[in-house]
Amino acid sequence: MSGKDFHPQVKQLLDGELSLADLPAALRAEGEEALRLLAVVDREPVTFPGLETRVLAELRRRADSPSWWRRLVTPREVRLRVRPWTLVPAFAAALALVLFLAQPGPTPATSPVTVRFVLFAPDAQQVSLAGTFNQWDPAATPLVRTGTPGVWSATLILPAGQHQYAFVVDGARWVADPGAPAVDDGFGRRNSVLSL
Amino acid sequence: MSGQDGSTDGQVVRAILAGDTERYGELVTRYRDRYARYASRMLGSRDAAEDAVQDAFVRAYDQLAQCRDPDNFVGWFFLILRNRCFAERRKSKEVAPLEAAGAIAAVERAEVPVEAAEQRRALQHALLELTAEQREVFVLKHVEGLSYGEIAERLKTSVPSLKMRMHRAYDRLREQLRDRP
Amino acid sequence: MKTLSVALLITIAAAPLGAQQDWVARVSPEIATLVRELTSSAATRGLPIDPLIQKAIEGSAKGVPADRIAAALRALAGQLDVSAAALRRAGPSRPDTDAIAAGAFALNAGLSDTNVTDLARVSRPRHTEAATLRVAGTLAAMGVPAAQTVELVTQVIDAGGQSADVVALPAQVTAGVAHGQGVTPAQAAAGLARAAAARANAPGQQRPRPSHP
Repeated sequence: MSGKDFHPQVKQLLDGELSLADLPAALRAEGEEALRLLAVVDREPVTFPGLETRVLAELRRRADSPSWWRRLVTPREVRLRVRPWTLVPAFAAALALVLFLAQPGPTPATSPVTVRFVLFAPDAQQVSLAGTFNQWDPAATPLVRTGTPGVWSATLILPAGQHQYAFVVDGARWVADPGAPAVDDGFGRRNSVLSL
Repeated sequence: MSGQDGSTDGQVVRAILAGDTERYGELVTRYRDRYARYASRMLGSRDAAEDAVQDAFVRAYDQLAQCRDPDNFVGWFFLILRNRCFAERRKSKEVAPLEAAGAIAAVERAEVPVEAAEQRRALQHALLELTAEQREVFVLKHVEGLSYGEIAERLKTSVPSLKMRMHRAYDRLREQLRDRP
Repeated sequence: MKTLSVALLITIAAAPLGAQQDWVARVSPEIATLVRELTSSAATRGLPIDPLIQKAIEGSAKGVPADRIAAALRALAGQLDVSAAALRRAGPSRPDTDAIAAGAFALNAGLSDTNVTDLARVSRPRHTEAATLRVAGTLAAMGVPAAQTVELVTQVIDAGGQSADVVALPAQVTAGVAHGQGVTPAQAAAGLARAAAARANAPGQQRPRPSHP
């Protein structure tokens, strides 16, 4: 018998790309050995009667409250009306607003969303925006003065998902958005959260 | 991919996601046995396979909101089951050890008549000695009867890499079966 | 420059952070070493590594001293671990990295690991845990107390709310605060929860708290 490995042509035989007759005489014996190997492959179908009962029983057992069970037997679909977005009342200090543009209704966004960031900072010389969407680089996204005195803005197209950000005033002062949800940044300051 | 009432997988999945969770039973019934044999050959035991398939259905239910292509629920389910089979570390003890300890001559095994059941078990043993990837390509092609192209599509890999895996499997199987008494 | 039409319009391309090596250029060598150590350890535990890289970049950009950044990174790694454990308690499926990251966000916003477990359980199968936890964390970040946050999200899901309804909750609470003149986020959230419970046809009945094994 030849070495441990099957000859490449015998492997082609096993793959079904050659027939035994295609093999040279010297390889016939090895080819027959290979085909005997395949012949004992167990192709018996396997069934699991009653598995669906066990799966559903397992899912119900894991349910941890009657209300889950109630959902299971009386499915119900309720749509909550989304109230129109309104502005938080202005305060004397820096005011920041985030307005969503081009959002026709409560569609879960998978495509990018246009977002306008606005900061009321009348004493600032320079304002920028830093966040997860621009590697927190304070130089990457400057805001520009708008027509209204003291109001700065920038409009970005952001991918769907959750972002954290803050404004950077005069290159040094990191200011969270008072109108947005805020979380601890781990460094003693707060970041604002934007969910798209 | 539709049931007798004509509803497609996608329709059933979307109905479940809309709140009609009871309909998950339809998907389980539809695909209960689809990969039973694959799981049995991968794990070497019918009981281990049944556990794996049951577990995969439970996981698929939990993660149903993450199924990106509801019309191809079964392809997504297969991947969950596949991960479960690959994670199965214990080799099943239920493939019966070769019983013919004294009855079969050591060397020229192929020339001694052995019961077909014994040979089947020997091959299943040998399959369990392969890596999971090697065993899988062998099972998908030679047990499930898929072509290399079909396997490549399902596993998101290339035909040449599958062939490389398979050819290595052939050699290892040959080695295993020859070494057995 | 009077109109907004000449305001800067900037497109930020979404690049998966883990895929790019330029985070190294944004942090000190000392922090880079720590990040590599924490992320390889995190990866073996099935935890997401992008939040760690992101936090290191953030601290460096903010000019935070290295030891403070290191402390924050270790704390974040701990939160990811706690989040993963809380998700595992919710069921047999191995938690996906999105859900773990969202759980860590929720913990950071003030929810407890028990809250995370409960929210994960109530999400399945119709909602992804990650989306539910992000909304819950956002509500907590708005000042809705933890118990009310879990209650509100649970009631909306129980009432058959779609994912869009869950995602809209922070906006609804904000609107409630704006309309209510002195209504706190907690009160606005409680009101929404009562409305959802009424729709689910369980008048005056609180959803029983899930039991913890």
